[in-house]
Amino acid sequence: MTCPYVIETHDLSKRYGRVDAVKDLSLTVRAEQITGYLGRNGAGKTTSIKMLLGMTHPTAGGGTVLGRDITSLAESCEMRRRVAYVAEDKQLYAYLTVEEMVRFTRSFYSDWRPEVERRLLRQYELPLQRRVSALSKGMRTKLALLLGLARRPELLILDEPSEGLDPVAIEELLQTLVAAAGEGASIFFSSHQIAEVERIADRVCILDRGELVIDLPLDRLRENYRRITLGFAAQPPNDLRMSGVDRIRTSGRQVVLLASRDVETVLERVRGLQPVSVDVEPVSLRELFLETVQEG
Amino acid sequence: MLWYKAWRESRGRFVLSSLTIAVLCAVTVAFEKDAAGAYEQPPTYDAFIWQSVYKSGIRELFLLLAILLGLGGLLRERAHGTAGFTLALPVSRRRLLAARAGVGALEIAGLSLVPALVLPTLSPMFHESYPVSQALQFSLLWTVGGALFFAVGLLASTLFGGEYTAGICSVAVLLAYSLMVDVPGVEAYIGDVHDVMSGSGMPYFQPAMSRLAGPLPWWSLAAILLIAFVLTAIAAQLTKRHDF
Repeated sequence: MTCPYVIETHDLSKRYGRVDAVKDLSLTVRAEQITGYLGRNGAGKTTSIKMLLGMTHPTAGGGTVLGRDITSLAESCEMRRRVAYVAEDKQLYAYLTVEEMVRFTRSFYSDWRPEVERRLLRQYELPLQRRVSALSKGMRTKLALLLGLARRPELLILDEPSEGLDPVAIEELLQTLVAAAGEGASIFFSSHQIAEVERIADRVCILDRGELVIDLPLDRLRENYRRITLGFAAQPPNDLRMSGVDRIRTSGRQVVLLASRDVETVLERVRGLQPVSVDVEPVSLRELFLETVQEG
Repeated sequence: MLWYKAWRESRGRFVLSSLTIAVLCAVTVAFEKDAAGAYEQPPTYDAFIWQSVYKSGIRELFLLLAILLGLGGLLRERAHGTAGFTLALPVSRRRLLAARAGVGALEIAGLSLVPALVLPTLSPMFHESYPVSQALQFSLLWTVGGALFFAVGLLASTLFGGEYTAGICSVAVLLAYSLMVDVPGVEAYIGDVHDVMSGSGMPYFQPAMSRLAGPLPWWSLAAILLIAFVLTAIAAQLTKRHDF
């Protein structure tokens, strides 16, 4: 039986001096899914991705990517044969032309697909003879994607792939990712753009201050998560903690509860507190993200 | 393809270095008569070439250029933002460094051959001659000496990420070493690579003719290469441990 997870980490930590860039990260990323990796600037997304790829050494903990130990140099090297990575700044060798960059990358992968290379070169309208230094950021992103996708990667890891792209380029990028997932690739991408994650991801992980605070399928968010707004005639009760309620925010006579499960039971209980109004609304990923990271 | 990458990264520096050495050698040959005329007792052509090219300024410049060729690598790539792409390739950091060292060694050998091409070729145009065999033997000595300072540059590049820091530190090492080997008493304990490269005061050099004579110092050359190899191996270990 094949492993259902393409990424598994346990207590993965990275400390720089006194700062925990990543703390006890236990993360699982399922195969053949698109997983969005959200977090504020400096939350530890890039550091954790670099640890997964063997670029940064963990201070503690460990993990596997495609079943290969990320702390083993030899296994990490073997794993990178099957993983495509698009870095945050999408910098490629400025001194090479597009054609030379493709030829250079192709030489490292025996499973390179020339037909995909040709199709993507046409689709992305990449000028073969132009130097990489003369490409726009959008073009560089497309070239980086081509270099990743032309080799049938089992896992595609992208760090802020839409950063600096115009809306048309973002749309093309998202379509490319969905198509790659359709071909069986697993996709793990970090982003600040919640709308993008919400649009294409099957699952979302939220990292805050180096710690994983949310890890759930987006279907579950849509089905189970509700924001319950209670209005009280007088001062609301002090302690509204109960099973199924993840977060509580009180503002004057209004209390907002973020319920993640057993919403009916939660409603039954809060109605017992005799609020003057009870509003129940679905929660968007944006709201969940803000609730999570702002409170932290 | 890693060798191709290393070559593309350094070829500008290599071409510029080669041109500089070539032009300086050509100028030395072209103005030999004028320069030699300034001496009370004009030196022989061989002595003039040895003094001007193999013993002093151009040799020192060659060592500086060897350091320059050793600079670069993953820390500089990190500064340029390409380290992520390079490190995501399915190759070990050791192989990346080995490719740089290999290309660098070839470039040092190529650079040291420049005087051997220019001096014997241009000398007849100015009614002089310089033996190819002499020039080639000096090239071999330069290659080995250059390899050592190339390795110093390589190691400094794995220690310091700043744009100029590695270069400045390497040049400081070269200067400190050059001063140290001239301190009386110290010279006996530290071999002088400059002298090995020029033959100055060495048994394989005949000062009267300003020519290399006798077998080259193979053990000294092997020892210098061994030190260069050790410095490269240290650089490889440091690269393996770096976080990018």
